[in-house]
Amino acid sequence: MVPFALSLLVLLPLVGAAIVLLIPKGQKSDSLIKWFAVVWSVIPLLLASYLWFVLFDPNASKMQFEEAYLWISSINVRYHVGVDGLSMPLVWLTTLLTVLGLFYSSYVIHERAREFFFMFLLLETGMIGVFVSLDFFLFYVFWELGLVPMYFLIAIWGHAEDRPQYSAIKFFLYTLVGSVLMLLAIIAMYINTSTATTPGTFDLIELATKRPFANDFVFASLAFWGIFLAFAIKVPLFPFHTWLPDAHTAAPTAGSVILAGILLKLGTYGFVRVLVPIFPQVFQANVLPIAILATISIVYGALVAMAQTDFKRLIAYSSVNHMGYVILGVAAAVAIGGANLTDRAIALNGAMLQMFNHGVITGALFFIVGILYERAHTRDLKSFGGLGAKTPVYGAILLTASFASLGLPGLAGFISEFMVFRGAFATLPLIATICVLGIVFGAAMMLWKVIQNVLLGVFDEKRWAEQEKHGVKLYDMTRFEVITLAPLLFLMVLIGVYPSVILNTLNTISVAILGQIVK
Amino acid sequence: MSLSVPDLNLRIIAPVLIVAISALVVLLGELVTSSAQKRGLGYASLVGLLAAGGAAMGLWDAHAVAFREMVRADNFGVFLTLTILAGAVLCILLSFDFTRAHRIETGEYYALILFSVTGMLLMVTAADLIIIFLALELLSLPLYILAAFKREDERSLEAGLKYFLLGAFSSAFFLYGIALVYGATGTTNLARIAASAPSEMLLIGAGLLLVGFAFKVALVPFHWWTPDVYEGAPTTITAFMSVAVKAAAFGAFLRAFLVALPALAMDWRVVLAIIAVLTMTLGNVAALLQANIKRMLAYSSIAHAGYILIALVAMGGAGVSAALFYLLAYTLTNLGAFGAVIALGEGERERLNVSDYGGLARMQPLLAAMLTVFMLSLAGFPPFAGFVGKFLIFGAAVQNGWAWLAVVGVLNSLVSVYFYLRPVVAMYMSEPVEGWGAPRVAPLVALALVLALIGVIALGVFPAPAIALAAGGLGR
Amino acid sequence: MPVDYLPILVMLIVVSAFAAIALTISALVGPRRPTPAKLSPYESGMPPFGSARRRVPVKYYLTAVLFILFDIEIIFFYPWAVLFRQLGWFGLIEMALFVLVLLVGYVYVWRKGGFDWD
Repeated sequence: MVPFALSLLVLLPLVGAAIVLLIPKGQKSDSLIKWFAVVWSVIPLLLASYLWFVLFDPNASKMQFEEAYLWISSINVRYHVGVDGLSMPLVWLTTLLTVLGLFYSSYVIHERAREFFFMFLLLETGMIGVFVSLDFFLFYVFWELGLVPMYFLIAIWGHAEDRPQYSAIKFFLYTLVGSVLMLLAIIAMYINTSTATTPGTFDLIELATKRPFANDFVFASLAFWGIFLAFAIKVPLFPFHTWLPDAHTAAPTAGSVILAGILLKLGTYGFVRVLVPIFPQVFQANVLPIAILATISIVYGALVAMAQTDFKRLIAYSSVNHMGYVILGVAAAVAIGGANLTDRAIALNGAMLQMFNHGVITGALFFIVGILYERAHTRDLKSFGGLGAKTPVYGAILLTASFASLGLPGLAGFISEFMVFRGAFATLPLIATICVLGIVFGAAMMLWKVIQNVLLGVFDEKRWAEQEKHGVKLYDMTRFEVITLAPLLFLMVLIGVYPSVILNTLNTISVAILGQIVK
Repeated sequence: MSLSVPDLNLRIIAPVLIVAISALVVLLGELVTSSAQKRGLGYASLVGLLAAGGAAMGLWDAHAVAFREMVRADNFGVFLTLTILAGAVLCILLSFDFTRAHRIETGEYYALILFSVTGMLLMVTAADLIIIFLALELLSLPLYILAAFKREDERSLEAGLKYFLLGAFSSAFFLYGIALVYGATGTTNLARIAASAPSEMLLIGAGLLLVGFAFKVALVPFHWWTPDVYEGAPTTITAFMSVAVKAAAFGAFLRAFLVALPALAMDWRVVLAIIAVLTMTLGNVAALLQANIKRMLAYSSIAHAGYILIALVAMGGAGVSAALFYLLAYTLTNLGAFGAVIALGEGERERLNVSDYGGLARMQPLLAAMLTVFMLSLAGFPPFAGFVGKFLIFGAAVQNGWAWLAVVGVLNSLVSVYFYLRPVVAMYMSEPVEGWGAPRVAPLVALALVLALIGVIALGVFPAPAIALAAGGLGR
Repeated sequence: MPVDYLPILVMLIVVSAFAAIALTISALVGPRRPTPAKLSPYESGMPPFGSARRRVPVKYYLTAVLFILFDIEIIFFYPWAVLFRQLGWFGLIEMALFVLVLLVGYVYVWRKGGFDWD
């Protein structure tokens, strides 16, 4: 039993960030800051690992490690935190990616390192806070809290030729639009659940049982769409995805990893945690448009990715494609149709697993892109070729990650995509059929654009020899890069071969959530 | 035959008296101090303000009226008294070095601020329209002089003249409104007005009162004086005006409309709602176009008046406590923002153009971080005071059936993020501009900034005590 | 109640009408025989010299304002003086405080040289 386990998880990065600020300036201060930040970020990872692998009960459908204290009594806001099968893996993934991101950054970030590590740790607090919050007000506070450090990370340490400040403010304002509409919905739900004798509630668990606006479909729809917009922008769901390519390409490598790996999951997590339990009728009534948007994200996302010549932008659009699968799974699980609980649970399990997998896989891909960019100072796919022979270790890792991304059996991506389609065929057969195209295009984009252009073909010796005069040298992976990617590759293979390690945890929650809404 | 002595409850107006006496003492002190000792007068005024604060805290839960029900001491009044005193204390802390650098350090400066505070304190405890008018004039006249205090700067003179002319005009409207209300109800006492039957003349009188209040608080379309006056006045006075006058004027505004005129609520609620929408929108949109940070903060203060007006439209205990909390949060945040602008001045030159803030994050990281916090709080970002204030206001609006107003407010907050982030972007992502050296922050200014920062963060993370205090309610 | 204000409206109309009629009739009926002396601005009988737009020294304004302030103070003395007996001690202390506040102002203006003509 760890007392205040989740509060520790949320606050430890914040404390670390404060300490980073206070480390005195000196000659060796930069390396001290980096070393300290990396070591300090391992503590939440160890704590999360202990909580998940040792203490967590995968068969309990209730919230675990709950803590609840009264925070603002006049509006009945509580500091209420807890995790279940959905949030525990995501919290663990957050700590893992933060450690890897900080570790990688300690080698590549040389300017204004102190502020970078401060922002990164602050961001970790925000993200973990969102995943463990069980009070909507608290959820909102952490949601907004994560925006500011991400903005700074993109704007200050972004690559100069990618318009970092424009991309950062676009990301910031775009996400904020959704957030403020969500705020109104939160207030409306609070007022709707308050009666003459009892105050309203912000508690997510209570709201799921109290079902605000249960009798008023119009208001329920308004609240639903307000919150939907906030999450859909974050996911990102077509047509709210236009901030993503700019933000991802402009961000520094570790920033992109965290953005793709975790921040996008905040949106999909919101779908499953908030929209499905609290607004099931509205969701079910609108499954078709949402599923269509997911389809467009999948197919259109893959097509646009295929058309890219910038490596990082391609991976960014592939995120749109992958996140579309998650929303497809969620929509399929909720849809009214002839399906039974098993099919729906499979769809929802697939969606949740896809969240986790995408974090691992696309996180790894962004690291890989960053490694190449550090060497070659370019991301133009057409300029590469023959790297498979020249840098074999890099080639092998890129190959593995690409195959995982396109869903090759044996690697993680296949399990989640298969489950999503298995479940979607039961409730949304036509849509699922169209979405299969997405897999085809996704495979094409990876095989053709990435693997063929980068790894295969002829290595342009003359051109790269000339580039060496400008300090560009294509050497194989260094040790720290391999260390960064190793855990992610391990996870890809592990989940691909033995997914039960995580599926059992997810399944309990899927069944619980679906049991509540499908009567 | 001896006339009866009216109920002189000096305890109720103790804060007002203390500040008034301090003002007179400082004024006399101006005559006996040499120019090097003027700072001591500033310290003396701080002592007076803190003593008044102590007296105000002693009035908590007093719930009494005095002077033939002309003055009322209730928790509403005490909360605003403390807010205004906090604003004045922070302003004077910022003034010490500013006035010396701009060569306006005289005893009259501090005395005039204290006289204005006297008027403000009287305004928030007034229970009678005549007292409100008296207090209005008492708080305005020193500010007219203070706005023009930098006699060599023509912008300052222009600011003072504009403020005076337009202010006198609006006071005349206000007085005419009082006359009509008296004609319609036969009384100027707020509680007794509420008890009289409503009529068209009362409505017209209320409209004229609205004009007077709207000018003071800078609501559209009576806001035209604000950008020019705020830009021209000395920055410490601008800071003081933007927070304390709003707190005092809104206090009287809330009292007059919620205590005296609730019967006419059907009529003035819609009008105020439209004014709130226009005010927020115009304030935020105009601020987007400003390059001068003082003008930008002026337009932003217009927008914030619009947000507070939403709470007035909402009515009810929720609306009143939301407005009070927001006024406190706004006071601390805005003074912090202006304080950062003052801290970055060099001698008589002030860092007013947003592009001049380039590279500050490297030269003065703490100050840059503080200004970032204040800007984010003004934009309504958690976990700062501004967010809780906006949450309470929008919550009150939705609760009382004005959800569309909350939507407009929320969208306006969104728009405002852009111009609040502009100085932040300049500080963190731009290179330093030529012609400015590394800024040095004076210790008292730093103290004021730290106090404001602590207040903003404390109100954002632990708002419960302040919300409970703000819910004291308007006594009858 | 608004009907009680009718006499004011009537008076307003009568006054405006009187002024309008007086000006109109004198413009229509009066003779017009301008001479240079009649058209020049009035300066207490003396021939005018200098620009009409010279800056007025502010000491005239200062004197006027100070006069007004202390004159109003004196006006406040009158009701007190009339009811002096009935107001008793209360009235005396009240008036003393009033005079004291204004005395501070008086001392301030005095020491700042507001009463010096040059």
